[in-house]
Amino acid sequence: MDPRYDIPRRAGGGGGGSANSSPAMGAQSRRRKMPPRPADYKLQIIIIGARGVGKTSLMERFTDDTFCEACKSTVGVDFKIKTVELRGKKIRLQIWDTAGQERFNSITSAYYRGAKGIVLVYDITKQETFDDLPKWMKMIDKYASEEAELLLVGNKLDCETDRVISRQQAERFASRISGMRFCEASAKDNFNVDEIFLKLVDDILSKMPLEIPNKELSNSILSLQPEPEVPPELPPPRMRCC
Amino acid sequence: MDNDQQSCESKESPDRSSLVSDDGKNIKSVLCQRCGSKVLCPGMAVFAEKELFLPSVRTKRNLSTSDGSVDGDTLTAHWLVDDMFTFENIGFTNNVGRIKYLICADCEIGPIGWHCLDDKTSYYVALERVNHA
Repeated sequence: MDPRYDIPRRAGGGGGGSANSSPAMGAQSRRRKMPPRPADYKLQIIIIGARGVGKTSLMERFTDDTFCEACKSTVGVDFKIKTVELRGKKIRLQIWDTAGQERFNSITSAYYRGAKGIVLVYDITKQETFDDLPKWMKMIDKYASEEAELLLVGNKLDCETDRVISRQQAERFASRISGMRFCEASAKDNFNVDEIFLKLVDDILSKMPLEIPNKELSNSILSLQPEPEVPPELPPPRMRCC
Repeated sequence: MDNDQQSCESKESPDRSSLVSDDGKNIKSVLCQRCGSKVLCPGMAVFAEKELFLPSVRTKRNLSTSDGSVDGDTLTAHWLVDDMFTFENIGFTNNVGRIKYLICADCEIGPIGWHCLDDKTSYYVALERVNHA
């Protein structure tokens, strides 16, 4: 398989073709050895959790080590498309980070509805971020698909000395929720971050039928603008884990 | 938003024929200029000319709309795709009016491209703001 194009290149006069197709296109396409390969799957993943637990860092750290604060736009990132290859399949992930919308009810139901994977993040050094988990679970129960894969992530493993939430505590929490996986990670050190996403994607894939149409996800941009929707009543978080 | 004032002719790249195939597609991969993250695979986008204003990459306040004077360039040479899932890796900013700017999904440098919410089948990446390899 030759990855290069086998098209004789005409000296185009530097003008470059415009978007319209040329009449000769058909013949040339037939000569192309490797047609562009579309993605095999499209999956929507959302990252939720209390403020400051490092959700955005997790999203940034995934698939690339480069990280630079300097040129971040003040507008903020809405979502990302990322591509991974797993089990010989090419998978496009649409990843939504909910940073800045940490109040549970400010994240709209539409956002949960399409998610095939939900990453619920807490900070191992902050008790309250762990105490918040039942509240997030309520939102997941209410809005997310039952088939959505859940992954609990204890972030900031690089701050081990300040740890207040033990691994066992979180494992216990996760074990009480059917199908929830748990792991600890450090977005700062890039520890476990890629693995987190790959594991989640792997879980999602293993639940899927072998051939699924590529149309799973619509091509529209899901808006995160607050909807005029009545938030559910949230009881105080009194779910003890010990 | 594709404003017309200060429409400088985009510098005609000398090696455009090495980037655009005969059927108007990208011959090479489209990569982030800073971190090399892959934005588009070869053959996935078509070359399109459209005057689009993109705020400049370097300044921190570059997207601020408060003072009305946004530093940037009007660029005309773009890679156009009709489906956001055509991208290998790409980030979308929050809305600025009806516009979402496209940024590198990994290092978040940008804007490297432009999308208007009124046209759900057009996503532009400026040739000048990416590398080709």
